[in-house]
Amino acid sequence: MAALSGGVAPWCRGWLPALQFVRRGSKAVTRHWKAMHFQRQKLMAVTEYLAPRPAVPPRCLAPRKETVEEDNGYVQLLRRQVEEVFRDNRMIAVCQFNSMPGEDVVLMRHYLRKHNIEVKFVLNEIIRPVLSQSKYKNLLPLFVARNILLVSRETKVKEMLRVLKGVPQINLLGACIDDTILSRQGVENFAKLPSLEATQGQTVGALALLPSQTSSLLQRGSAHLTALLDQHISRLQAAETGSPAEPAPAQSSEAH
Amino acid sequence: MWRWRLPRPLPAGGGPGGVTVPRAGLKKYVLPPDYSGIVFPERTKLKFMDKVPAVPKVRREPRQLRDIRGPSREATDFTQGQYGILALGGGYLHWGHFEMIRLTIGRGMNPKTMFAIWRVPAPSKPVTRKSLGHRMGGGKGPIDHYVTAVKSGRLVVEVGGHCEFGEVKPFLTQVAKKLPFPAVPISRDGLREMRQEEEEKRLNNQNPWTFERVVTSNMLGMRKYLSPYDLQLKGRYWGKFFLKHRV
Repeated sequence: MAALSGGVAPWCRGWLPALQFVRRGSKAVTRHWKAMHFQRQKLMAVTEYLAPRPAVPPRCLAPRKETVEEDNGYVQLLRRQVEEVFRDNRMIAVCQFNSMPGEDVVLMRHYLRKHNIEVKFVLNEIIRPVLSQSKYKNLLPLFVARNILLVSRETKVKEMLRVLKGVPQINLLGACIDDTILSRQGVENFAKLPSLEATQGQTVGALALLPSQTSSLLQRGSAHLTALLDQHISRLQAAETGSPAEPAPAQSSEAH
Repeated sequence: MWRWRLPRPLPAGGGPGGVTVPRAGLKKYVLPPDYSGIVFPERTKLKFMDKVPAVPKVRREPRQLRDIRGPSREATDFTQGQYGILALGGGYLHWGHFEMIRLTIGRGMNPKTMFAIWRVPAPSKPVTRKSLGHRMGGGKGPIDHYVTAVKSGRLVVEVGGHCEFGEVKPFLTQVAKKLPFPAVPISRDGLREMRQEEEEKRLNNQNPWTFERVVTSNMLGMRKYLSPYDLQLKGRYWGKFFLKHRV
């Protein structure tokens, strides 16, 4: 108790002095760190900031899910274009693209354009997510390295193969023609087929052959009979006018 | 659309003889930052500061601790610029510091796309020195130079314009290191985040014994060892120093 009073007389304990003198003593230090009073140091140590402890330690939480990178508008546009390409075109050929001079690329595109075949440069990172969700899922293994797509609204395989024969840097990997996936060999076989009109004509011809044969077979007896009867009538007319011995072969043929 | 880049190393013999195969990737176009609504001042570079005020003070004033102690009340928020130097302690800037700041920033910035403005006034507080070899005593010496008192939390300069923080940070750091008090380069967002973080720390403090509480209720007679200024400063400042880890 005596320590708390701080040397003040016991009768004025708890009183503030009515008159305070101007403090004089050490000047305020503005240059360096002034040492704190020991009690004040204790107070500063006691009143430190304590961070809140989370209820579950962060180590025990499930690992954070990787933040899904939001696609920007450009990627979405490219994806939409790829979708449109696959929707609108009947023939889509996937080719491996090796580096070649720019003039050759332009020339090749020009030749292909003549046959109404477009060349599309696509990126694997664009086309892969698009294809994996569409019905063309089985085309995915073709998109490994740098690829180009040769697309056309008509199935002009023969012309495409003829152009590609002159460009060794571009290798045909596979194609999707009328929703049928074909390998390289399959594409070549497809190109050897005659055109659809010719095939249809052949079919029509083959189909029309049998009924015509049947009808001709069926009509043959009656036609023969009429021919014989005509012959007989002409003989009879000839016999009335000329020799009578001639009807005998006509009778035998009639028995036949 | 086509951009050549080196892919990540392929596992176990990716190419013949470890040759990396160049592949094409998608170039990402990031939207440029929006610089609309930035008003450029007439002179983009920092103004020259006078070494001595136009009307010199006749009265020689003492070094007052109170003009560098505690939080600053002025120039704590950005006005025109987006980036600046924030003082994290009190101190005096003399004319040499002003020249250093002006020249370094003038060298580092592009005056056509950026601008810089002062947030501190020119030196006006006189500092006295006794001449060399002078005997002690005999009254206060003559005025030697003038200084500007800066309190903690004050912005010294502001930089802005069509630039990003990464562009201005190097030379602002270079300046901040040479100032007579701890200072950091900071951006508008950075300052706001800093203030928010402080507020959160103050609200989420798990220590029930805060400095303010102990001092105001005079626990254990602590006021005997503290000064009346501790009621205002709440133990965050000690002299000219700012104790930034405290709440």
